[in-house]
Amino acid sequence: MKCDICNNNEATICLIKIQGNDVERVNICRGCARELSLLSGVELYNDSTAALYKLLQMDNAVNNPSGKSKIFKNLDTRKNLKCSCCGIDLKTIKRTGRVGCSNCYSEFKNILFPVIKSIQGSLENKGKIPVNTSKKTRLEKSIRDLKSRLQNEITIENFEEAAKIRDRIRRLEKNIYGR
Amino acid sequence: MAGDKFYFLENKVENKKSRDKDNPDEIILNTKIMLSRNLVSHKFVDTSSGSEKNAILNRVIKSVSDIKEFEDLHYLKIRNLKGIQKDLIFREYMIDEDAANKVQGRGLFIRPALNSGIKAAIIVNYEDHIRIQCTSPGLNIKRTYKEVIGIEKCLEKRLSFAFDDKLGYLTASPFDLGTALRITVVAHLPALTISPEIEDFVKKINNIGCQINSYFPGQPEIIGNLFRISNRITLGKGEKDIIKEMQAICLGIIEDEMDARMQLKKDDFLGIEDNIYRSFGLLKYAKILSYEEALELLSIIRLGLDMNMIDGVYDFDYFEMINKITNSRIMLDMEISGEISDDRLDLLRAEIIRKKILKEVD
Repeated sequence: MKCDICNNNEATICLIKIQGNDVERVNICRGCARELSLLSGVELYNDSTAALYKLLQMDNAVNNPSGKSKIFKNLDTRKNLKCSCCGIDLKTIKRTGRVGCSNCYSEFKNILFPVIKSIQGSLENKGKIPVNTSKKTRLEKSIRDLKSRLQNEITIENFEEAAKIRDRIRRLEKNIYGR
Repeated sequence: MAGDKFYFLENKVENKKSRDKDNPDEIILNTKIMLSRNLVSHKFVDTSSGSEKNAILNRVIKSVSDIKEFEDLHYLKIRNLKGIQKDLIFREYMIDEDAANKVQGRGLFIRPALNSGIKAAIIVNYEDHIRIQCTSPGLNIKRTYKEVIGIEKCLEKRLSFAFDDKLGYLTASPFDLGTALRITVVAHLPALTISPEIEDFVKKINNIGCQINSYFPGQPEIIGNLFRISNRITLGKGEKDIIKEMQAICLGIIEDEMDARMQLKKDDFLGIEDNIYRSFGLLKYAKILSYEEALELLSIIRLGLDMNMIDGVYDFDYFEMINKITNSRIMLDMEISGEISDDRLDLLRAEIIRKKILKEVD
């Protein structure tokens, strides 16, 4: 395989760059690799056939705090509002990718929720809840869980189980709302 | 809770790895699970003042010291960790390097792996007030999660965490909202990396809601064919579902790598055999080996062992080697203090590797 850059020498290095879903592959020879100084920090093996050099760059890497900050890049900061609780402004949130306090989520609800929806795909917590939450919250959580189980049972046409779950939901709802 | 003097706790207990039937060739090398929490009625870390951070740290220290189950946690002031000591601990416990910057009010608790093989760390005032993380060798999601959630439950008895009915546990980054549960596995994928399938593989991993990165954070290069793969979504799914999905994804990754290995053997047996023995030759005769080059070579040798294509080397734990051949670790093991040249370190590294893996050392 010839080098993609000089088109002359035998390519011995395959460069793979990953950005989101796009994978780009470039085959280059040792000479060109050196000129491009792609190999800083990594020594080439004496035998060029063994050399494989891979690049991977992720745009919004979860594990990489600098990547996290890019998630708000489209945030509307024309009105640079400030949180009344912690004082952080939207421009700072946009720059760091982090909010300043719990209150930010309610204060900037209109601006933040669409972003959260786009990253997480949902705005409804289905995970565990703290032990010290009110009884009402815990019951509501149980109802939500049961409702999603009910959906599953109906999908697989297990109506007997579904009926049981429906009754439990009714009992819990009565418990909370007194209906 | 032990004091500040503590230096570096290594796993004295050998992780007797019973070969996992799902993960026979150690394709998934390590499992790390993180859980983030913030305390109620405090600003998040970015906006809180120095004294507020100290107050939070003191509250956490107090709670930890009150909890019987946390007797074996060691507290460390990140500010006091210097040079190789910091490097060793951060690598051993897989803590973000960034956690060593802007350290005011930042604290670290660590618990070395005991019989369970699971190491635990609690980081205070990093991205969120509290981050609990546990790591375990191999593919071990369920047990590692149990450990993390156990620590969280103990803390929850004494501390109230910021929570919202809709958004779940509130975190500074919207990336972590909901369960605030992040599962990261380290995968060794030598055959996939050189196969044409790698493009489809990366796309697939992204499409099923995971992130794939280089093992070495902040570095775009893939060194030693090592990847980190984590779940991207934390909100809208329960913990159990996230765990179940991640487990299934890991089994898929193992299958893909195994397929790539089979294909490689079929398509280019001589090529791969040649590659393995060239790597062997380099490890055997090279006088100096940089960290990166050593990992690349060890990765190929490991592949050779997994595929029963090489003699003359001992079976070795590739993931353990990653930490054993760093500059810091060599300096610790060789009791080197003060200045040392890179060439000298590279020379020592080559010797250490030869001693560890070659059956006949001249």
